Amino acid sequence: MNPEPFLQLDRVIHEKGRLAIMSLLAASPQLSFTEMRDTLNMTDGNLTAHMRTLQEAGYTSVTKEFQSGRPLTTYSLTAPGRKAFAAYINLLEQIVQQTKSNK
Amino acid sequence: MESNWAADNLRVIRTLMERSAVYRRALAPLMFLAGSLGTLAAAIGWFARIESPRAFVGFWLTVAVLTIAGCFLLLRRQALRDAEPLWSPPTRRVLQALLPALAAGLICSTIALFNLGAAEEKTASIVGLFCLPLGWIVFYGCAVHAAGFFMPRGIKLFAWIFILGGCGLFALGSPDLPRRFLYAHGVMGLFFGALHLAYGIYLFCTEKRKNET
Repeated sequence: MNPEPFLQLDRVIHEKGRLAIMSLLAASPQLSFTEMRDTLNMTDGNLTAHMRTLQEAGYTSVTKEFQSGRPLTTYSLTAPGRKAFAAYINLLEQIVQQTKSNK
Repeated sequence: MESNWAADNLRVIRTLMERSAVYRRALAPLMFLAGSLGTLAAAIGWFARIESPRAFVGFWLTVAVLTIAGCFLLLRRQALRDAEPLWSPPTRRVLQALLPALAAGLICSTIALFNLGAAEEKTASIVGLFCLPLGWIVFYGCAVHAAGFFMPRGIKLFAWIFILGGCGLFALGSPDLPRRFLYAHGVMGLFFGALHLAYGIYLFCTEKRKNET
């Protein structure tokens, strides 16, 4: 089996928690912190840490504003983030296809 | 082995992307509000003897506006409490799905409201106290069913009760003229009052009470 696709997998996205975050953001233009936390059953600290990693990689952007006097933090995928996520999915599909054809 | 985790990851991604698009606001309070207003309005209409077709249509349109306004305030309160945007993408999708059937109902009702006064009594009574209420029920069922594609699955069954119930009552035919307004208020109270209350109770017992965490 050709190991190349596996080696090309983006390590930032490949982590389970961050993959879940990227999947949610890929299907929605923007999501609030609490929406993601509740959907993924993550703790505040865990989600914050993953979001920081994704932001440092340039995959997500954050918007902080106030809604009726209350802070509202929303996240969205950046163009590079969307591109990296699409590439990650392509690689996964390649791996699945490769294994099927080797059987 | 390697393809297993890759396929599993793809499955997880698909599930999460679908979940991201689902409308997540608590529906039980909305159902309680709509059900309470529907039941109260039916009781008022019944006991206050709102029997002219035009008055009936105007009365229930006012109830609908009040219910929509109340639901909007509840949604806004939920969004503020959860620190989430009110017009989130799932909310917009649900509203877009609800809109065509509700708009059709509103347009038909407005046309009827303006024309019922000029129509002869029997025709006005049939249209205003029989066709329109059952039409509202079917339109509402269609609207909720369309929104059900972006909501938890149970709501589609709720919508089908309206669609089949409304069509079934059409098939059974209209009651006699003296009792027609009672029938109309009763049907409205049953569908927009009691059924919403029943669904609200069901949701209250089953919905995940995420806001308490």
